Amino acid sequence: MNRITPNMMPPKIVCRDVWKIFGRAPRRIFKALASESMQHESMEGHIIAVRGVSFEVRTGETFVVMGLSGSGKSTLIRCISRITEPTHGEILVDGQDVLRMRPLELRELRRKRVSMVFQHFGLFPHRRVIDNVAYGLEVRGVPRPKRRERATEVLALVGLEGWEYHFPRQLSGGMQQRVGLARALAVDPDILLFDEPFSALDPLIRHDMQGELQRLQATLQKTSIFITHDFTEALKLGDKIAVMRHGQIVQVGTPQELVINPINDYVGAFVRDAPRGRVLTAQAVMVSCPLTPTSTDRPTISAQTYLDDLLPLMAAYGDPVAVTDDDGLTIGHVDRAGVLKALIRE
Amino acid sequence: MTTRSHSLPFAQPNFRLFLQALIWVGTAFGIGLLATTWPAVPRDFPEAWNLGLRDPLDAFQRWVVANRASHPVFAFGFTPLSSWIDHALRFFEQALLRPGWPALLLLFALLGYLAAGVRLSLFCAGSLLLAGLFGLWEPTMQTLALMLATLLLAILIGVPLGMAAAASDRLDRLMRPVLDAMQTIPAFVYLVPVMLLFGIARVPAVIATLIYALPPMIRLTNLGIRQSNQAAVEAAQSFGATRWQILRGVQLPLALPSILMGVNQTIMMALGMVVIAAMIGAGGLGREVLIALQRLNVGRALEAGLIIVCVAMLLDRLSAALTRIDFAAPAGTQRQDLLSGWVAGAVAARLSTERAYYFQAYGRLINATLLFLAFLLLDALIFQFGNFPETWRLGLREPANAVVIWARDNLYFVTGPLSDGIVIYLLNPSRDLLLNHLPWPAIILAVAALAYTSGGLRLALGSATGMALIGLLGMWTPAMETLSQVILMVLLTVAIAVPLGLLAAQSPRFSAVLRPILDLLQTIPAFVYLVPVIMLFNIGRVPGLIAAVLYALPPGIRLIQLGIETVPSVTVEAAESFGSSRWQTLIKVQIPQALPSIMLAINQIIVMVLAMVIIAGLVGGAGLGIEAVRGLARSETGRGIEAGLAIMILAIILDRITQAWAKSKP
Ligand SMILES: Nc1ncnc2c1ncn2[C@@H]1O[C@H](COP(=O)(O)OP(=O)(O)OP(=O)(O)O)[C@@H](O)[C@H]1O
Ligand SMILES: [Mg+2]
Repeated sequence: MNRITPNMMPPKIVCRDVWKIFGRAPRRIFKALASESMQHESMEGHIIAVRGVSFEVRTGETFVVMGLSGSGKSTLIRCISRITEPTHGEILVDGQDVLRMRPLELRELRRKRVSMVFQHFGLFPHRRVIDNVAYGLEVRGVPRPKRRERATEVLALVGLEGWEYHFPRQLSGGMQQRVGLARALAVDPDILLFDEPFSALDPLIRHDMQGELQRLQATLQKTSIFITHDFTEALKLGDKIAVMRHGQIVQVGTPQELVINPINDYVGAFVRDAPRGRVLTAQAVMVSCPLTPTSTDRPTISAQTYLDDLLPLMAAYGDPVAVTDDDGLTIGHVDRAGVLKALIRE
Repeated sequence: MTTRSHSLPFAQPNFRLFLQALIWVGTAFGIGLLATTWPAVPRDFPEAWNLGLRDPLDAFQRWVVANRASHPVFAFGFTPLSSWIDHALRFFEQALLRPGWPALLLLFALLGYLAAGVRLSLFCAGSLLLAGLFGLWEPTMQTLALMLATLLLAILIGVPLGMAAAASDRLDRLMRPVLDAMQTIPAFVYLVPVMLLFGIARVPAVIATLIYALPPMIRLTNLGIRQSNQAAVEAAQSFGATRWQILRGVQLPLALPSILMGVNQTIMMALGMVVIAAMIGAGGLGREVLIALQRLNVGRALEAGLIIVCVAMLLDRLSAALTRIDFAAPAGTQRQDLLSGWVAGAVAARLSTERAYYFQAYGRLINATLLFLAFLLLDALIFQFGNFPETWRLGLREPANAVVIWARDNLYFVTGPLSDGIVIYLLNPSRDLLLNHLPWPAIILAVAALAYTSGGLRLALGSATGMALIGLLGMWTPAMETLSQVILMVLLTVAIAVPLGLLAAQSPRFSAVLRPILDLLQTIPAFVYLVPVIMLFNIGRVPGLIAAVLYALPPGIRLIQLGIETVPSVTVEAAESFGSSRWQTLIKVQIPQALPSIMLAINQIIVMVLAMVIIAGLVGGAGLGIEAVRGLARSETGRGIEAGLAIMILAIILDRITQAWAKSKP
C-alpha cells in the first residue's frame, strides 16, 4: 500500500530506547546491563524480551514488525498501550509520553485512541457478536441503544450483517477475526495495533482478510502497527517493515529496501521468498541517465511501476524501455538483462 | 534431596540411607532406654504441667451466657447475624413446607426434568414420595432448608472471597492453609466454640456446616477466575476497562461453570455434615439418625439413612446439571421436549428476533415456572393438599429390625469371639503399649523420628511440639487412647484396602461389582451403619473400629485402584513385551509407579479414620471423642475445647507426616 504522503506527516507514534525485561527484578537487571557490569549468562532467570527498540510511525502509515517466534514482537506492541509495562524507554503518542500517563489518562488513551486486534481473537465467548463489538463503547459508558447502533454499523463495514445476535463460537475463524477487527474499529481509534491477526487463519481466508483490511485502510487511513510472520502479508499491508531479532530491531525500511539490500542473513531469510516482481520497481533496476524529455514513439513507464507489471510491456515492445518521473521526464532506462538479474535472487 | 546433593559427600544417597538408619537405631535405643528406666507409675504426661485452660474457658462461657443479651459484641455482632441466618433458615423451611406436598413433588419433578429428563424427574419425585411414606417428610424438608441456607451463605461469603483470592496472590497464599485446615480438622473441634458464639436455635448448626462446606466454593471461584480465558481479559484491558469492569463483565461470567461446580461440591460437603450438625440442634434427617442411634433402632436409622442418600443423589444431579447449562447456547439448539413450545413458544413467535431469543433460550424454564405457579394457585384455591397424609405409610423398620435382631441372636458364635478377639488381641495391647509400656517422652521421640524421616527437621520439631501441647492441655491419656485406635484402624483398613484395590485394578468385573457398594458406603452417613454394627457387637470400642474401617475403606480402595490404573499403559505393555507375567508386572512395574497414590490413599485413610474415631466416642469408643462429646452434651465448654484442640493437633500432625511421606516418594 504505497500511499504517497507519509513523509510529510508528523510522527504519530515514537518509541525511543524501549526495553522490556521479564523476571523478578527487571529494574536491577536493566541497571546492571546499562552499566555493562553483567554477563549475559547471569541474568538470574530474567528474559530480555525487548532491548532498546526505537522507531517512528507517521500518521496514516502502516508499520509492520516481523521476526521469528520469541523475538519480542508481541511484547513490543503490548508495551505501546502498556498492556505490558515497559521496563525503560519513552513512548510518545501524539507527542504525549505514554509511560508518564497516570492511570486515568492511560485508560482514556486505551478507550479512545488505541485499539488492539489479537492473534487468537480474544473475543468474549459469553457475549453475542454485537456486544463483543460494542464492548469498547460499553466500557466508556455509552448507553446501550447507541452502542448497539454503532456496533451494527461497524459489523456491516466488515461484512457481518445478520450475525449480530450469534455467539462467537458459531462463527468461522475468519468471521471471528472480523468481529475482532470490528471491535477495534467500533471505538474509532486513531491507532490500531494488530498482533498477528491473521496467523490463526487458513491461507485462503487470510488472503481475503488481507484484502478486506487493505480496503478498509484505504478509506479509514488509520495509523497502524501490524505484526506478522509472513513477508507477503507485510508487503501487502506495510509502508515500512521492521525486522526484529532477540528483542532488537535489526533493520527498518520500505519493502524494496529490505529486498534489495538485506542487512544480514537473518533479514535475507525473511525476504528470500518475497515475490521480487511485486516489490521491486522500475526505478530500482533502471540505468539512470540525465533528465531528458521523453520521446513519444516508444512506450514509457513510471518509476513506481513494479517489475511484474513491466514484464508484459517489455515482452511486447522489446527493450530498452524509458522510465519517467512524475513530471514525465525520462530519468533512465530498463533492459531485459537488468530486469532478469533483479528478479533472480542472489 | 536438593539438586546440589551430588557435590556434598554427606548428602549422597548411601550416606542419607545410613543417616536414616542411624536415626532409627538411635530412636529405638532411646525408646528402649526410656521404657526401662522411666519410673513405672506415672507414665503419662505429668498432670502438674497442665496449662489449665479449662477454668478460664468455662469462665468465659459463663460470661458469654450472662452477657449475651447486653454486650455489644453480641448485641451488635453475633446476635443480629444469628437472627438473620435464623430468618433465612425459617424462610426456606416455610417455603418448602407451606405449599403442600404434591406441589413440592411437582417442583422437584420439574427440576429433574429440566435438568436431565424423565429419569431424574422420576427419581426426584420418587425420593420425596419415599420420604413421605417413611414419615420423614418434615425432617427431609428441614434438611433441605438447612442445605439451602448453608448454600446461600456459602455463595454470599465464598464468591467474594474467591474473587479476592483470585485478585491477590498474597491473600491466596494466606488463605490456602486455612482452607486446608477447615477441611481436615474434624468438625467436633469447632462445634463447641460455634455453639458458644452463635447460640441461637439452629444457627450454630448452619455455621458448623458452613465451615466445613465453604472451602470448595472459595477454591473453585478462585480457580475459575484465575483460569478464565487470559486472551479475553487482555482484550478487555486493551479497551481501557477498569478492574471491576473486567471482573464483572468478563471474568465472573467466564468463571460461572467453575463457580457452579463449587455450588455442587458445597452441597455435597454440607450433606456430609447432616448428622454431626444435628448434634448441635440442626434437626431434620440428621436428628432422626441420632435418635435411632440412641435407641439402637436399626430400621429407623436405615430409613433416615436411605432418604439422606436419596437427597444427596438428587441434589448432586440437580446441581451438576447447573454446571452443564450452556448460557451461550445458540438459538434453536435448545432441547426439544415436553416443556418446549407452549406459552414461551407462542410468545417467542410474536416477537422480533432480538427479543425472542430469551423466550427461546429459557422457554422450558419459563414454561415450567408457569406450570408450577398454576398448580400452586389451584392448590391454594381448590385442592388444599397440606401435609403428607399420615395414613400412607411404608415401613422398612420392622423387617430391618427383625433381620438385625435375628443376626444378633443367631450369629453370636461369630460376632462374640470376633469382638472379644479384637479387644483382647488388638485394642488392649495397642493401648497398653502407648499408655503403660511407653513413657510419654518415648512416644514424643518416636513421633518426632517418624516426622523427621518423612519431612525433615521442621516437621519433626513441629510434631514434637504438638505432642507436648496435647500433654499440656491435659489430654494426654485420651489422646493416646485415640492414637492407639487410629493406628490400629489404619493398619486394618490398609490391610483390606490394598488387596481389594489391587484386585479391582486387575479385574474390571470385580471393580464393577465393588463400585456400587463403595458408592453406597460413601454416601450413607457413617452414623447409619454404626447402628447395626453396635447391635451386633455391643457398645464399646469394637463397633467404632469396624465403622471407621468401613468409613475409610471406599476412598482407600478407590485411590489405590486409581493409582494402579493410571500407570501409563505403555510402561505396562513394555514390561509385558519382555515376557513378564501379570504378577511380575504388578509387583515390579505397577505398584512402584503407583506408590505416590498409595501413600495418598493412606493419608486419606488416616484423615477419615480420625474423623470417625471421634464419632465412635459417642458409642463408648473412649479417647478424645468421648471428651469432646461430653463437652458438647454437658456444655462443659472448657473440656470440649481442650479435647477439640487436641483432636486438631493430632489430626494436623498425622496429616502432615503422611503427606510429607507421600510427597517424598518420587
Ligand atoms: N509474561 C511473560 N513472562 C516472561 N517471559 C515472557 C512473557 N511474555 C513473553 N515472554 C518472553 O519474551 C520473549 C518474547 O516474547 P514475545 O511473545 O514478545 O515474542 P513474539 O515475537 O511475539 O513471538 P511469537 O511470534 O511466538 O508470538 C520470549 O522469550 C518469551 O518467552
Ligand atoms: Mg507474539
